Amino acid sequence: MGRSIKKGPFIDPSVARKVAAMEASGKKGPITTWARASTILPEYVGFEFMVHDGRRHVKVAITEDMVGHRLGEFAVTRTFRGHTNKKEGMKVGH
Amino acid sequence: MARIVGVDIPTNKRLEIALTEVFGVGRQTALEVCKALDLDRGMKARDLTEGQTAELAAHLTKNYTVEGDLRRQLAQDIARLRDIGCYRGLRHRRGLPVRGQRTRTNARCRKGARKTVAGKKSVKGMK
Repeated sequence: MGRSIKKGPFIDPSVARKVAAMEASGKKGPITTWARASTILPEYVGFEFMVHDGRRHVKVAITEDMVGHRLGEFAVTRTFRGHTNKKEGMKVGH
Repeated sequence: MARIVGVDIPTNKRLEIALTEVFGVGRQTALEVCKALDLDRGMKARDLTEGQTAELAAHLTKNYTVEGDLRRQLAQDIARLRDIGCYRGLRHRRGLPVRGQRTRTNARCRKGARKTVAGKKSVKGMK
């Protein structure tokens, strides 16, 4: 179920604060953040965020198409290192 | 046999069913259309007059996105997700389920037929 329109988009207060600070200084980031659930607003286009993926911060450059998505959608949290081969599978499995 | 909106040739069925042959028209839309044009939804599609057929086509293209346009729109929506590098786009690229379903088992629609891996223990054998 989507979020109620009444509430408006969710913006993490820390993100709002950091963006406001950037705007005041005229720079466009990068803004380091852990707020993966924060929605991308139209005003953020052109900014650069460093979004936490659980281990490090991944660089995300905001484009127009990303508006309405959340920051976390662009920083994948899983590292897939391939399936185990047969021998290793025997050792680790069951 | 009547042609409505390009290539669609609805059959000898009741109008409300025949209309669902059009991509983008389901039961709901079919009934809405019948009502809007004051057509009997129970009538057979073959009994439509030329004028009624034209009217249907005009009404559908004007008020709904159907057939090619709808297919194009869907493809564009997916292409957009792929291009922006978001999680959903990644799943589309990999051909895996997009909405958080499990992939340990099932997900066969997205993954296609099983590719048997030699030496892999069966699901039954796993604890």
